Amino acid sequence: MALSRRSLVGLGVLGASAAATGGAIVFRESPIVRGLIGRSVALKGYVGGEKMAFVENPRTIAALKSSALVMTSERAGSVEQVRDPKLLATKPQFLWPSSAPLVELARRSAKVLKDEVIFNSPIVIYSWKPIAEGLIRAGIATREGAHYYVDARALIDAVLQRKSWKDLGQPDLYGRVRLTATDPNKSNSGFMFAGLAANLLSGDVATMDSLPGVLPKLTDLFQGMGFKSSSSGKVFDDYVAGGPGAQPMVVGYENQLVEWILADKDRWKRIEGAGGPAKPVALYMKPTVFSAHPLIALGPEAIPLIEALMSKPLQEIGWRDHGFRGPLGSVGAQTDPMIAGRMPDQITSVTPMPDIETMLTLLKSLS
Amino acid sequence: MKRLAIVLAAAAIGLLAGCGPSRTPFHIIAGSEQKSLEPLILDFCKQQHTECRIDYKGSLDIGLMLDAEAAPEVDAIWPASSLWVEMYDSRRRVKALKSIYTTPVILGVRMDKAKDLGWVGRSVRMTDVLSAVKAHKLSFLMTSATQSNSGAAAYLSMLASTLGDGSRLDPSALQDAAAQAMVKTLLQGVARSSGSSGWLKDLYLDTAKAGQPYEAMWNYEAVIKEANDVLRSRGGSLLYAIYPAEGSTYADAPLGYVEHGQGQANRSFFDKLQAFLLSAKAQQQIASSGRRTAPGMASPPKSEADWNFDPSRTVPSIGLPEPAIISKSLTLYQEVLRRPSLTALCLDFSGSMQGKGEAQLKAAMRTLLNPSEASRSLIQWSRADHIIVIPFDATVRTVLEGDGDATSQARLMASVETETAGGGTDMYACASAAFKAMQPYLNKGYLPALVLMTDGRSERENDFAQVWRTEGHQIPVFGVTFGDADKTQLNQAADLTRARVFDGGKNLTEAFRSARGYN
Repeated sequence: MALSRRSLVGLGVLGASAAATGGAIVFRESPIVRGLIGRSVALKGYVGGEKMAFVENPRTIAALKSSALVMTSERAGSVEQVRDPKLLATKPQFLWPSSAPLVELARRSAKVLKDEVIFNSPIVIYSWKPIAEGLIRAGIATREGAHYYVDARALIDAVLQRKSWKDLGQPDLYGRVRLTATDPNKSNSGFMFAGLAANLLSGDVATMDSLPGVLPKLTDLFQGMGFKSSSSGKVFDDYVAGGPGAQPMVVGYENQLVEWILADKDRWKRIEGAGGPAKPVALYMKPTVFSAHPLIALGPEAIPLIEALMSKPLQEIGWRDHGFRGPLGSVGAQTDPMIAGRMPDQITSVTPMPDIETMLTLLKSLS
Repeated sequence: MKRLAIVLAAAAIGLLAGCGPSRTPFHIIAGSEQKSLEPLILDFCKQQHTECRIDYKGSLDIGLMLDAEAAPEVDAIWPASSLWVEMYDSRRRVKALKSIYTTPVILGVRMDKAKDLGWVGRSVRMTDVLSAVKAHKLSFLMTSATQSNSGAAAYLSMLASTLGDGSRLDPSALQDAAAQAMVKTLLQGVARSSGSSGWLKDLYLDTAKAGQPYEAMWNYEAVIKEANDVLRSRGGSLLYAIYPAEGSTYADAPLGYVEHGQGQANRSFFDKLQAFLLSAKAQQQIASSGRRTAPGMASPPKSEADWNFDPSRTVPSIGLPEPAIISKSLTLYQEVLRRPSLTALCLDFSGSMQGKGEAQLKAAMRTLLNPSEASRSLIQWSRADHIIVIPFDATVRTVLEGDGDATSQARLMASVETETAGGGTDMYACASAAFKAMQPYLNKGYLPALVLMTDGRSERENDFAQVWRTEGHQIPVFGVTFGDADKTQLNQAADLTRARVFDGGKNLTEAFRSARGYN
């Protein structure tokens, strides 16, 4: 059947229209264009407490919006977000825990479409200036420039030996040395500290072979801590709120104090100017472990989020406003004058985490 | 077409409702120790043109509210300590929980008593407190450890002090006979208990005003300061602050959002409120009240050396165990270690209680006298308690007695079940009978209380004060109302005997439960 001229013209119009519509659809699906026309994709997921301030930072929100992304994040412990069936049943599109080995755990519970380390932060111990000075007097800490370093094994031994604060150069505090971490079965900073302690007590990176020999001490260390929160962010909030009496030493991420200083610079000026014992300090452990913060995309919509978070503007916000080091542990280009020199450029003494099977066995013993 | 217009209009209204602030007041449930900060919050709400409502509950009530099947119809909670949220919020309803201030629970000792005990200007250990209680040289007010955070904090410090150097609560203390005996002796020092730290402070101040102050009170450092501010203004004797050397248990006063789908406007208001309370301006006001704020937030108030108050002093905290161990510790308190109760319950079975009243009263008793029901609210009896139940109308119908053993409770309940409403009302006759029945058990280590439940007005009242003075032996007389009961008589009895009245109009079981928390 031959087509009339009118029909051909009609088909041509239809084809052009279809091409234009298709083009517009492709064009509109570009994240930048979606951002420009204000049609953002809202992504729902769980984020470790220590990154909530980054996620809620208006500059972060604006930068993500320009990539047409909106993060609807709920705080959840890093370990529980990759393991807890109740949390995974809520169908999160992304998870953002604080440790690379946790990606392996996430794979066992959900289909991971893509994952990439966005930030890095070493695990530190938060304490108070008089306590840090006491540790120096007791011979287990040093001060190098503006930074305090503590012998991690010696500190863990002091806790296990139930040494008193007096033994550690702090006669003003009654009782035994107390160090608190988060619940390693729920939150990453406790999880990482458990891995570090296992390494230190084993004398090398802990393995399935060496772990049984050190488990009694590890169990004692964690049981002795008593109540352990499920969120690193909450532990840090409690640390600054509680002061040296309530919270003498807690395990946290390097960036948390930086973020806290930058969140209210006047507050920090008042602390520096005031007398009294309430001056927060970070004790860098020798050795320590690096906490990586991998974003795990469980839904296809979350894959562009990885690209956006790896972009220069968002990496700079992570460093400048929140003290997160880049994916390779390096410091950012711009540093707020308020925190310049506060963080060592290089963290030289780092131990790798035990493998995931060893960690799972360890977690089981600590639950 | 008309239907479409209605649908569109409804959608538009829905959208508008979603955008604007909530029309109902922003509802906060707080611990009684936050009461003095209420004006700070209400001023902020006013500035934000948002109506706020603050109701006060004990820590356990806040915990049970979070634990309930149905989400509580509240927007925020501000309990004394995050401990209760950790123990009860298994459904993760509370979001953005942040400490607003901290304050340790300490022992305030009447100045002359502190001097007598030789505690002024020196370090005092929990063993010193134990020795003073043992020698009958010290008694104190302390809230119920299972109902209120300050009592729980004092009790956990006591339990921690029994093993090792006392700076951490070792879970093995729960199985250690010597440790339990020590805490049991310490708790013999409880002169009066309550379900509210704020109410306990008022009780101390009332008795001080009447020239009969108690000897000491476990309470928050900030609440002791509030009490001392009043005592100082009256020219009275202050409470000397004892910080047990082993350490204290801190309240961290966390404010958290309770999520139940209220919408973004409510959440935004909460965020603003929390940011305001953590701002330098609000923190300065909070610090001025004697509460401890985070470093750099505010200048602490001046220390007051005459009562050993120094908010800049580092007070070590007790190391607390996991929430599950704390729960076990609280059960141990309720079932074994606390001072046993001598409780008389006067139950109104007059004619006006017919129908709904009788049914609700029996339902309330089925909770109170059933170990598994009562233990949900941690008010279960122990074998050491003595319970007197007196159903009454115009006269006393019978006097039933038993203990906290399950069989004994079942027997008491079975008798209550046989009662039917009828006749006139005379709660005073019941009170007299209760005093008589309690008499043989007084001065035998029990903590006594009479709970008078009535829905009406008793005709004979003229000699109650006299009867209480001669036969009442300082027993506090709590009231529980039902229906539209005239509260005047119960209030008079409660005021005279330094107790309080609980409104059972909405929920009689809850009212009895609250009353039980004071004994």
